[in-house]
Amino acid sequence: MSNSYPVNTGSSVIGLCFDDGVVIAADTLVSYGKMARFFDCSRLYKVNQTTIAGCGGDYADYQFLHNLIEQKQIDREANEQGVDLSPRALHSWLTRVQYNRRSKFEPLWTSWVVGGIDEGKPFLGFVDKLGTAYKDSIIATGFGTYMAVPVMRKFYDDKNGRITRDEAIGLMKKCIGLLFARDCSAHNMYEIAVVDANGAEILGPLRATHDWSNVKEHRTS
Amino acid sequence: MFKEMQSLANAQMTDASPHKVAGFYPYADNGGTLAAIAGDGFVVIGGDTRLTTGYQIYSREASKLTKLTDKTIIGSCGCWCDSLTFTKGLHIRLQYYLYENNKPISTNATAQLVSNMLYQKRFFPYYVSTIVAGLDADNQGAVYSYDPVGSTERHRYRAQGTAGSLIQPFLDCVLGRGNQTAPEPEKLTKEQAMIYLKDAFMSAAEREIGCGDFLQIMIVTPQGVEEERFKLRKD
Amino acid sequence: MSIESYNGGAVMAMAGKECLAVVCDKRLGARLTTIGMNHSKIYEINPYLYVCLPGLATDALTVYQRLRFRVNMYELKESRKISPQVLCSMLSNLLYEHRFGNYFIGGVVAGLDPATGKTYLYAMDCLGAITIGTEGFVTGGHCEEQLYGTCEALYRPDLGPEELLEVASQAFLSACDRDAGSGWGAFVYIVTKNKVELKSLKARMD
Repeated sequence: MSNSYPVNTGSSVIGLCFDDGVVIAADTLVSYGKMARFFDCSRLYKVNQTTIAGCGGDYADYQFLHNLIEQKQIDREANEQGVDLSPRALHSWLTRVQYNRRSKFEPLWTSWVVGGIDEGKPFLGFVDKLGTAYKDSIIATGFGTYMAVPVMRKFYDDKNGRITRDEAIGLMKKCIGLLFARDCSAHNMYEIAVVDANGAEILGPLRATHDWSNVKEHRTS
Repeated sequence: MFKEMQSLANAQMTDASPHKVAGFYPYADNGGTLAAIAGDGFVVIGGDTRLTTGYQIYSREASKLTKLTDKTIIGSCGCWCDSLTFTKGLHIRLQYYLYENNKPISTNATAQLVSNMLYQKRFFPYYVSTIVAGLDADNQGAVYSYDPVGSTERHRYRAQGTAGSLIQPFLDCVLGRGNQTAPEPEKLTKEQAMIYLKDAFMSAAEREIGCGDFLQIMIVTPQGVEEERFKLRKD
Repeated sequence: MSIESYNGGAVMAMAGKECLAVVCDKRLGARLTTIGMNHSKIYEINPYLYVCLPGLATDALTVYQRLRFRVNMYELKESRKISPQVLCSMLSNLLYEHRFGNYFIGGVVAGLDPATGKTYLYAMDCLGAITIGTEGFVTGGHCEEQLYGTCEALYRPDLGPEELLEVASQAFLSACDRDAGSGWGAFVYIVTKNKVELKSLKARMD
């Protein structure tokens, strides 16, 4: 029952399915309340060559789950060689862990975006601190739901859902730029995780520029 | 009870927290609407596919209906994490039933099991609205509805969820035919039931923001389960 | 239970082709106890103009009396009948004058122009925020949600008086039957260019 609140927190995570893969992006800032406290904390995680994940919310809870997932992957490599943790399996596992902890009134104060290639197809899913879970081709957490989702949705619809890897990475950069401009707990240093048939990689740390033209483009007034 | 929990959660807003966050509350209202109509030799159940939190839409394509057997469907909405957990738990119980009895579970038995499973969590309930729809032993349509702690009743038709209060009186009017002296029309067909269901959800989506995007319908007949999707307004 | 739902009750107005149905239930409650079974929420301003005041009954009576006073003064000063639009503004203003410390009622104004047959429907909340009933019906009271459900599904435009009575009554009774705070029968005014009929509907008494 004690300590049921977040302490050091990460901000938004955004994710998108493209033609033959998935991208997830998040900045590297961890804040203590309104104070920008740790500037270089990765919140993206490459689980294996098919699975990536990003996490917002309490950073200690993220590290705790990170360790559990890491151990799961190691166990798999040791005992079931070649049977990697798939994004769908990780997503489902996270829903159970989060739900069990919320039922104990000891929540892990996190929201996850899990992505990867599942049975040859892109997979993108969301899990929050209650165990609320869904799958979609566009997902954002926190402030990203207001700032990034409309931009991603428009891009997705304009392209009829056909997006290349480079376009997806470009879109992530644009959205992180928007969040940096408008979300006071966002930061200009960020990472992008990409996964496709050729494997997974984390790009960065990258820098968003202080470019307000990007922001003005999306203003209606 | 939920109010008590909420105040308990708010009381935890301590100085130690660097954030202005209300304390932890284990439930969420993720909306969703369900409706089912039973007839002679069929049952139809519909659910919208919108998943929300407050005014925000999480997903436009979250299915609230789950096929349990060739004769039974369950629909669940409300607190989505509870819905997921409950249907997952139910699936496991049904597998056990299958292995122990070497036959699929009947709709009536499923209905009782669902009630028992909900009541087992009487003091920390699954915060969900549930409808079980299926064919009974005589291939008659059956609709069972539940409250979060397992109170249940068998109906001919039933609406639940955020727009349940809008749909139920409409179904009362066209199917229950209360306050009407006109003679009972000929037997309800599957096609007519589908039209009522679509009308009901279209009307509800017009006035209730928690209801919209798509209507997913499952049609159960002795031949099996068919599925249909129908567009609702997206705003 | 909130003060708005202390007495229960529901109202609805529906427009047809050159005709109008104004409906209210008959229940007057004190929380869960029914204390009156013949309580109209419809007030006649003139044969072509009605105002419905659902909500806290004591406030409804007060507001009606104050509104009546203002209508009388208006008609004396202007030497002409009050129009639905003016009545709506008048009620809205009256309610907004009590923006802080408000009356616990809603307001529905329904009128018919006897010369042209044009119908006017308005609904407002307890502070006087007006919505114009362009969809052909307005609702108010304890089972507003249920009424929206039935009206949205059953209403069709350009109904004649007989059909309008049927549709409005069905929509209203079906909605009331799913609300413990409303019911015990209904009053329906069917207003046409040259006739006003008051019907009393029987319904389930629970």
